[in-house]
Amino acid sequence: MHKALTAFAVAIFTLSGAAGDQHARSDSEGWREIAWPFPRDAWPAGRAFRCAEEACGGEIELYVRPKIGFCNCDSGVADDDEVDRVADLDLMSERFAPLEPGQVIRIAGMRGRLRAYDLRMSDGSPHTAIGIAVSHRCDLLVAVAQGKGSAGGVQRAALEFLGSKEMTGWMVSAVGGS
Amino acid sequence: MNRYVKSATSLSIFFIACSPSAYAQSQAIGAPPEASNMKLVGMNDLQARSAYQPTIHHQGDRWIAYIGHHGGSDDIPDPMNPLTEKAEPNGTSIVDVTDPAHPKYLRHIPGQEGKYESGGAQMVRVCDGKALPKGDRNAVYMLRTFGSEAHEIWNVADPANPVLVTRIGGLKDTHKSWWECDTGIAFLVSGAPDWRTRRMTQVYDLSDPAHPVKIRDFGLPGQEPGATGAVPTEVHGPISTGPQGNRVFFGYGTDKGGVLQIVDRDKLINGPKEPTPENLRFPEIARMPMSAFNGAHTTFPMLKMPIAEFAHDKDGQTRDIVMIVDEAILNECNEPRQMVWFADVTVENRPMMISSYTVPESSGSFCERGGRFGSHSSNESMAPVFYKKMAFIAFFNAGVRALDIRDPYHPTEVGYFIPSITAATDKRCVTVEGKDRCKVAIQTNNVETDERGYIYIVDRANTGLHILELTGPARAVAGLP
Repeated sequence: MHKALTAFAVAIFTLSGAAGDQHARSDSEGWREIAWPFPRDAWPAGRAFRCAEEACGGEIELYVRPKIGFCNCDSGVADDDEVDRVADLDLMSERFAPLEPGQVIRIAGMRGRLRAYDLRMSDGSPHTAIGIAVSHRCDLLVAVAQGKGSAGGVQRAALEFLGSKEMTGWMVSAVGGS
Repeated sequence: MNRYVKSATSLSIFFIACSPSAYAQSQAIGAPPEASNMKLVGMNDLQARSAYQPTIHHQGDRWIAYIGHHGGSDDIPDPMNPLTEKAEPNGTSIVDVTDPAHPKYLRHIPGQEGKYESGGAQMVRVCDGKALPKGDRNAVYMLRTFGSEAHEIWNVADPANPVLVTRIGGLKDTHKSWWECDTGIAFLVSGAPDWRTRRMTQVYDLSDPAHPVKIRDFGLPGQEPGATGAVPTEVHGPISTGPQGNRVFFGYGTDKGGVLQIVDRDKLINGPKEPTPENLRFPEIARMPMSAFNGAHTTFPMLKMPIAEFAHDKDGQTRDIVMIVDEAILNECNEPRQMVWFADVTVENRPMMISSYTVPESSGSFCERGGRFGSHSSNESMAPVFYKKMAFIAFFNAGVRALDIRDPYHPTEVGYFIPSITAATDKRCVTVEGKDRCKVAIQTNNVETDERGYIYIVDRANTGLHILELTGPARAVAGLP
């Protein structure tokens, strides 16, 4: 019941934007696209974005890409372990630990899970990361946001941006949806 | 022929005529198989069930094929079993192949409800009771997966009337296990609920199949319960060389991030068992990461291979080789090519890839045929007839490919067989501009051989079982008359 309510709350938040956000702005205001910063790996590069400190209350980077054919076609993103495995946290650092159990989420019409992490960068500095994995048929759409601010702040900014019309359209298209 | 069929036929002819490059290689019902140095001996439709792994067992004076199935399809979740006249979820087919020209379907044991990879009973291994240290000497034991939730052992001494012996359940996934018939030690690819990975290995003593004894859980450090940080690639399947060879070769990954792990079998079985990072590293001899583009579906060891080219060298005349087969996952070439690799592991802590093999795409326009193109698996029989001489590779829409591997530094294709499609062959689709575009093509999923030299291939797209033999120069490679 609690999980369902949380999911509902996250979904509503995603759809409506942060009504109480003190940084009132349009959904993608303050974000700009940057070059994909990671070396080639098993999947093609995705899209990377940075939100300036003045717009998001602290600098945040967000990386999002499809992983085609990487999901259980029936069960989708089934549990938190799957978010740990697929959400691209390891692109930034292999050292991350969850802050709490994840939650069900729906983004761009796709259902999955979201989880917050403490991320230890290669220089030892602590960051906060939000890992997101949602599925469409047998395909995944993953996103990870990281910054130095609180998990709540990073999550809020990331969900707001991902819920923008432009990003929603791109994500649906990226996994072959319509 | 009614007018609608006539119209459809005319349209088909029109499109084929107008697009020769795109459709010249498409398969058509009624067309002959494509073959080189291999020929069809017999076939069975396996009740039009999607087939994964065949295992062929010499059972008394009979030869029995045990074939694991995926779950059913969206169109037919539970195909009809003509023997029972009931719709049954895909499980295990048992076929008498004593006369390979006339295989006789004996029994279907239903598997877990669920479609595609979410149901069925994909994997199967067989051991005689008289070979197992504590087995019933009159029994023949079949170890199979039951969907994602359990491993089961059946007594198939009478293959038409199998009896369930035991079940190891409570899992979140299963896959391609290995069972040593002379010791009973089994490396069961499982999903223990508390592990961070979908698939890891549970080592069991199944020397008395009625009373399984768990030895330990095993995986790569980072997969164990309570770990944090990056999670290594999940296991696909191990192959053990038994107590004599004292090695287990684990393959991790399917189509991405593959890893070959060489493990000391004795340390694995008798070493510290608590799944701590230190204990998981303890039995490992070496780990060879592959490109992120490729996985390690099958890791087939061929140790102490004499290499003719090196015969006059003062050292290194024989080499320990592991053949690594990736699994293609996506239809119509929507991923990096999945193929076959040969690793020289003679110096165990410095394994090195030495050669590779793939079917030339242009030889059949395979990226346009539909379904998957790329490798999936090899035969796993170590019977002398083919071992260290020939390997057979299931290559999805390119059928089965026969390789001369006597010089593993230069593997050479010497034959192939692509079965004809039938009315039962299922479609395979890709999404184009938000809509499904489907084609029908053979999807040779797995291959196995028997001691007589027959080659058994099964189709993921419901076409059934084809029993083949080598012809021409390919027979000479194996030393067959």
